[in-house]
Amino acid sequence: MQIADKTTHKNMSLCSFGNGANLTTVDALNGKVVRMRPAHFDEYYTKEDLNYWYINAKGHTFEPRMQTLNSPFSFMYKTRTYSPNRIPYPLQRVDWDPNGERHPENRGKSKYKRISWDEATDIIAAEINRIDKTYGRNSIFAQGDGHGETGSVHGPHGSMCNLLDMTGGLTMQARQPDSWEGWYWGAKHAWGNEPLGQNTHQHNLFKDISEHSDALLFWGCDPETTPWGWSGQQASRLCFWFTEIGVKQIHIAPDCNYANAVHSDMWIPVLPNTDAALQLAIAYVWITEGTYDKEYLATHADGFDWFEYYVLGKEDGEPKTPEWAETKCHVPAYRIKALARYWASHVVSIGHCNGGSFIRSCYSHEPARLEVYLLGMQGVGRPGVNQVKFIEWALIGMDSFNPLPPGYFLPEVRGCYHGAVLGELPRSFIPKTLVPAAVAGEHISWYGHTTSRHHRTDQFEKFEFPQPGDAGVKMIWSDSPCWCTCWNCGNAYEDALRKDNVEFFLVEHPWMENECCYADIILPISTTLELDDFGVDTYSGQFNSIIWEDAACDRVGESLSDYEAVLEVAKKLEPYGGKYRHCVKHYSRFKSIEEWREEGYDKCDIPEAWKDLDLLKKQGYQVMMTRYGWEDEPAGMIEFYEDPVNNPMETPTGKIEYYSSALAEGFPGDKERGPVAHWIENGPAHPDERIGGERAKKYPFLLVSNHPRWRVHANYDDCPWTREIETCKVIGPDGYAYEPVWINPVDAEKLGIENGDVVDLFNERGTVMGGAYVTERIMPGAVYQDHGAHLDTIVPGIGGIDRGGANNLICPAATSSTNAAGEVTGGFLVGVRKSDLEGLKAKYPEKFAMEHYTPETGLCWMDYVVEEA
Amino acid sequence: MKNILFDASLCNGCYSCQFACKDEHCGNDWSPIAAPQPMTGQFWCKMEQHDRGKCPEVKVQYTLHMCGHCDNCSLLEYAPDCVYRRDDGLIIIDSEKARGRKDIMEHCNEDLLFWNEELELPQKCTGCAHLLDNGWEVPRCVEICPTQALRVVEDDELPENATNLPGQEGKGSHFFVVNIPKKWIYGCLVDREKNEVIIGATARLIDANGAEVATLATDEFGEFRFKELEDAEYEVTISADGYKDVTLAADTTQEDVVLGDIFATAA
Repeated sequence: MQIADKTTHKNMSLCSFGNGANLTTVDALNGKVVRMRPAHFDEYYTKEDLNYWYINAKGHTFEPRMQTLNSPFSFMYKTRTYSPNRIPYPLQRVDWDPNGERHPENRGKSKYKRISWDEATDIIAAEINRIDKTYGRNSIFAQGDGHGETGSVHGPHGSMCNLLDMTGGLTMQARQPDSWEGWYWGAKHAWGNEPLGQNTHQHNLFKDISEHSDALLFWGCDPETTPWGWSGQQASRLCFWFTEIGVKQIHIAPDCNYANAVHSDMWIPVLPNTDAALQLAIAYVWITEGTYDKEYLATHADGFDWFEYYVLGKEDGEPKTPEWAETKCHVPAYRIKALARYWASHVVSIGHCNGGSFIRSCYSHEPARLEVYLLGMQGVGRPGVNQVKFIEWALIGMDSFNPLPPGYFLPEVRGCYHGAVLGELPRSFIPKTLVPAAVAGEHISWYGHTTSRHHRTDQFEKFEFPQPGDAGVKMIWSDSPCWCTCWNCGNAYEDALRKDNVEFFLVEHPWMENECCYADIILPISTTLELDDFGVDTYSGQFNSIIWEDAACDRVGESLSDYEAVLEVAKKLEPYGGKYRHCVKHYSRFKSIEEWREEGYDKCDIPEAWKDLDLLKKQGYQVMMTRYGWEDEPAGMIEFYEDPVNNPMETPTGKIEYYSSALAEGFPGDKERGPVAHWIENGPAHPDERIGGERAKKYPFLLVSNHPRWRVHANYDDCPWTREIETCKVIGPDGYAYEPVWINPVDAEKLGIENGDVVDLFNERGTVMGGAYVTERIMPGAVYQDHGAHLDTIVPGIGGIDRGGANNLICPAATSSTNAAGEVTGGFLVGVRKSDLEGLKAKYPEKFAMEHYTPETGLCWMDYVVEEA
Repeated sequence: MKNILFDASLCNGCYSCQFACKDEHCGNDWSPIAAPQPMTGQFWCKMEQHDRGKCPEVKVQYTLHMCGHCDNCSLLEYAPDCVYRRDDGLIIIDSEKARGRKDIMEHCNEDLLFWNEELELPQKCTGCAHLLDNGWEVPRCVEICPTQALRVVEDDELPENATNLPGQEGKGSHFFVVNIPKKWIYGCLVDREKNEVIIGATARLIDANGAEVATLATDEFGEFRFKELEDAEYEVTISADGYKDVTLAADTTQEDVVLGDIFATAA
């Protein structure tokens, strides 16, 4: 029996921006993918070849394994490629006429008709030319940074930016550090660690923790979920390893997340976005009991007395006692004291994994800074005392971000990358968090370029949109769109997309999901399995590898890659002459895909001696050896710990700053992000988002909205194999697969809600529906719903209703704080009630009659298209 | 015949095994060993989750269920005309000969044998026989497991405490599970007046006959955890200097017991 006739290799992570992980072997038969499986390094390499590594501690050994440790998402990708929701051909909104009425008010409502690529690209080129001539190029707004697949030659993120840039310019969306806002906007001001704000000195930290730490605090951190989309399952194996060698795992979060449920030795439930109160109370115990490292602070810190003054209540008359904190965070005072004393008397590091309500709620810069303060009080950098991440082990190409044994170099894809480079922005740009206001025509201003590659000092520079003389947004060109489902207040964006000033909304995407249904033209895009490309695997925590990605299967429908789609537009622009003359040549450099791939390899930083294109093509991948002598490289922040004068942090004083003079000078009078981190009960940006306020009487729960367990943001929501798992979807009495809402039994009883009921999460920004999942895995007072469920709009815009459960629709539109443009996508107030399903059905019958919807795969593109004559 | 061993202490609940089985069989036709599995609803390799405990002491127990290719296979016994055993021991339902044979459905556990309505065919795990015939050493579910919770082992490599799943016992099943924790009891002793946990208190576990089963001291968080307990009606008595003794019922016959935060009163 033939079980495959073609085997190829792919980088299956969804890191985007060209970075990659999760090398996967793909078997195909008769042009279709039949299986996806781990790659086995021992197919081509011995352990000696790879300088195979071991971490030895306490008589035990941890090793990387000789096969890839893919996330389960790698093995279900063919359901994405062959999804019934794949858009098969270009679509045009039926009542959008570029030569007549455009009906922007009907976006999200009206249906689509089939057009050809030729027709679509004619229209697109004409619109670009018209808008450019009428309003100027800065009125074309490119969103090229959504969550999606990783590609290089076919670069799914921002391929259009290059074409627009080389033919006259654009306004670009600036993607902010959306998964870890607080570190960027807060922690950098306390300890530098440029440009991310998280510990960028992570070398050898897993070895260091294994050897020296008594405990790891997993603070709002789920190593069993968040790494899946980016790096696979080495993080999971590390948690088992810490259990094996007796490193105590304490989880601090409102929810018993998937790592907590399996690995934890202890769970300390804390209400969403109240960690700052808990942290201040820990500091209070240490200060009043004298159990912190005063000598270290004398030489490594600046301004501690300001913090002490605040903690003891001398500034505001409110000592930050455990009893005070209990009222805010609902961790009993006795448990706070016990934790503080345990921490002070043991060797403790903190682990993070992005996301959750700890780091992307309102004022998230405060818990981030407070964590730095606490680490400082226990002598951060000391063996066993550090901050470590279980994810993104090569973020933005930083070798020092990898806490596992590193290779000699980090392979890059820049030689063939056609996407937009994060952080490289044109003069006119819009922070992603402020897009709804900007698209709606408001004049906005903010501080900083806001992308993760900028230095702390960039946060003091002021910008505006539109710039003087510009006309604002007239056209939006988006790829991998997912603003509504992944950013702050999608309902505001739905309103903005229906404004008159948005004359043309163009989208490229493989699937009919997210805000595709608001577009005027949709271009069908191929998935990574259908494409020849070049990739790298640098996030997996085993060995770095370089991947010659051959297409695994035939194309689906009339799809093209993002790069190819933009090239088709370029071909139609060229006849307009002038700035468009030779734009095809400039864009493609007349290189074939094969030539681009070869150039990718040539420029991936691989040493000449290791370069072997024929071998790469033959094997499909090339694995790079571990660096010799890695064991002896300094661990974490040990150099700062041992000699802060010669190894300073990147703060103005070179020390850990408990008082940030830069913030004091840059934003005098800022009560939300002052020089010293505080508990911020409310402020101008978020006047009433706490359980003690007025709004909490109507919306009494704080929402946990994690990176999803069974999706990567909004990706994979159509996968039939995840949707039949009970934590993925709750089948309502109407047969619809609702996004689960975790409710503690105590709260469920008060609300009269039973397991399986259809419920509303609501506030004044709108309602999202879900399926009640009554569980002890969420603390009372908090509810949990993963973010990124498919949009299934019943009523669009502010005050609207969404059946899919895309709770980003009802997040606060306001950013982290007045002068910090981060997103707030968790830890905000919601009400919970049983849905009036019959009432909704009677009022909006057409929304409950999607003919091609199935609970197995969800919504289908066919319901958005008028029937062909 | 070799065995498949599921070690619950290494399972992270990622469901990769279940997905790999579907990746191999949904939409792929490996007849006559395996006709296509429907896209949803069949679980030849089935992960089950079971929440244990109450906030703030909650665990999720993952347990894998799959065909044990039993030595005494009741399917084979009942329908030797369409079910056969290979030389390597794997039990296969012939996807041609078994068409229409709904009658065999009652001869194995309902969570191991599935009826394919469209093909009118009973279906189950094949041990990925079509892959083994092409040089594979282990089935998809085992190959894919990142934590090695699932392994193929010889008889002499089976741990002593490995057991068969309920329903497969006594049939010579070759699917074994190990390290599923027995029942547990959790509590935390607190002086709510002083707002302090009580460290070093003595927690005694007493069985229905009044015999002391185990003794623990409360730890730095005031907590105690009795583990690996039988299903039984226990009592927990906690004694601390300066406080009245506290005795609480802890019945583990149905589920694990979370006594939660126990407020002691001064003696």
